[in-house]
Amino acid sequence: MRAPASLSMRLSLLFALVSLVLLGGLGAYLYHALGQQIAWRDDQMLQGRLERMEALLDDGESIAALRRRPLLYANMLGNRESLLWMLDAHGVPLIEVNPPGLPVPELPPAPEGRLGAHPAAESTRLAWRTLEHDGRRLTLVAGKTLDERERMLAAYRLRLWLAMGAGAVLACGLGWVVVRRGLRPVRRLAARARTIDVAHLHRRLEANDETTELRELSRALNQMLARLEEGFAQLSRFSEDLAHEMRTPLGNLLGATQQALQRERTREEYRQLLGSHVEEYERLSRMIETMLFLARTEQPSRALPRETVDLQGLADQLCDYFEGMADEDGRELMSDMQGRVRANLDLLRRALANLIDNALRHGRSGTEIHLVSRRDAGDWHLGVINHGEPIPDAERARLFERFYRGDPARSQSVGTGGLGLAIVRSVAQLHGGEAWCESDAAVNAFWLSLPTGDDDRVDRCPGRGQR
Amino acid sequence: MRILLVEDESKTADYLARGLGEVGYRVEVARDGLDGRHLIEEADFDLVILDVMLPGLDGWELLRLIRRNGQVPVLFLTARDAVEYRVKGLELGADDYLVKPFSFVELLARVRTLLRRGPLRERECFQVAELHMNVLKRRVTRGETRLALTNKEFALLQLLLEREGEVLSRTLIASEVWGMNFDSDTNVVEVAVRRLRAKVDDPFTRRLIHTERGMGYVLEDRG
Repeated sequence: MRAPASLSMRLSLLFALVSLVLLGGLGAYLYHALGQQIAWRDDQMLQGRLERMEALLDDGESIAALRRRPLLYANMLGNRESLLWMLDAHGVPLIEVNPPGLPVPELPPAPEGRLGAHPAAESTRLAWRTLEHDGRRLTLVAGKTLDERERMLAAYRLRLWLAMGAGAVLACGLGWVVVRRGLRPVRRLAARARTIDVAHLHRRLEANDETTELRELSRALNQMLARLEEGFAQLSRFSEDLAHEMRTPLGNLLGATQQALQRERTREEYRQLLGSHVEEYERLSRMIETMLFLARTEQPSRALPRETVDLQGLADQLCDYFEGMADEDGRELMSDMQGRVRANLDLLRRALANLIDNALRHGRSGTEIHLVSRRDAGDWHLGVINHGEPIPDAERARLFERFYRGDPARSQSVGTGGLGLAIVRSVAQLHGGEAWCESDAAVNAFWLSLPTGDDDRVDRCPGRGQR
Repeated sequence: MRILLVEDESKTADYLARGLGEVGYRVEVARDGLDGRHLIEEADFDLVILDVMLPGLDGWELLRLIRRNGQVPVLFLTARDAVEYRVKGLELGADDYLVKPFSFVELLARVRTLLRRGPLRERECFQVAELHMNVLKRRVTRGETRLALTNKEFALLQLLLEREGEVLSRTLIASEVWGMNFDSDTNVVEVAVRRLRAKVDDPFTRRLIHTERGMGYVLEDRG
């Protein structure tokens, strides 16, 4: 069965169910206790009657005399439910008061007095005793039919059921009212949440006047809102930057073409123009390719093919590649990388190349660039360290964002500018690591971490990681 | 040399056919997969350039068909560069792939490589004008002057000499000389060519290494 959709309905039904169980248990207990009480009282009465009969016999009244005075028992009994037998040794009744006309019971001898049901009629309770009187063995039997008791208990049962039903209905109704009242803060929270949309992401849920649970919920939701707002702001910034970055080459293409079309040009001028266009197209194409790359790396579900990468070899290759550029600027690339990591070689090479490129672009001429690797609590940290201007804290946090540039004036000089470090971060994240920057007065260090948690295991079973 | 180009985007097909025709290939164009199948069954080609997304019959199907019938080299053009696509193409028997958008120089270089029967012959000596390279002795001279080149400069010059007269893109150079297989924004290649030029061309009157703006570099004697 499906649970009811509304929380109030569900809670009030549960409330009713709990009341039903409690009331039912209580009712059953009381009913049982009452039944026992009545049975005990009846037994006492039957035993009392036996004792009185015995007392009459002891007072010297002869049985014959007793039989002649039936009114005595009639008074004593006075109703149609009581039974009385005095049986001789052969079970023949000497005295019999038997309004319902039950058969004479055959009972085992009981010198001490016993209680039990009539052997022929279950709903009749008997007390009997055997004794010697004037040398004869007598059995005294007092009895009571239980019909009245049953009727009374049945009426009581009915009342209990009715009370229980009414209680459950009442509990359900009251529960509904109480729950509706109790959940009012939740509805208020929902109403406030409804007012938050894309245009009002700065709004927050008030977390002061609510219950503890709701305060926690509000606080958690507020934190979520803050993250969303930040993400949204980042996305808008990114769209703006992207539009700006695309506009620059497009503007160049448009402007240069229109300018060239003003009048006839020489073949050489057309060649120059087309050549310059190709450069702009390549810039756009690279930008789109990089954007695609970044978009793709942000789907963490993709399985990343990894291999064992020799860091020293990789660093040597990169130094080799950038040697000429460094040399032009009077700089030197120094590799201190060692060790082996499991990573995607292409992506790692690309990330490190971007870091070195960044260092060459922004570092100080005539200084050294160090490539270092170190193992830190199981993770590999790969860094590129260069001498340059210290980077302010606020800027450091945003360096790895797409299109972010520390120095806006430099924007024209770079191809797809501002995506290099974003790629570094994406590559690190794709490997489960992070990218960050450390800066002090002397050096700027750009790091990326590669977690190697299950590296050793992977190394031992070479089949893995080669999907 | 006959090339079959199967491409449904008409502008792309037009400029590719024109470009390949201009460098001396005979090009036939199929505008959809069914046309392509028809042409493949009718005639012999030395190379097939195949787009993956095609109306009628897609590139994968055509490739299967081609592989059933023979060993003509196939160059794949794909708009998707996801690894799975490349792998699928290569597994089905494609010889090479290019991701759109690609540069025409790049395509030309790959077409030449695919059409060059057999492996590139290792040459020991190159001679262009008065520039002379002996690969085994690692000696480069221009006229009477011995040029002192670093290892990378030597490798770069060797690549330019091997492909004399061909325009080599920056990407190709980066990949062949340094093994860097990605497009980057850095001007490493420009710097390397400039430094090589400073040794090979600058001290002399006649220039051998030329820059084709927007395309790349070419080494030839233009008289």
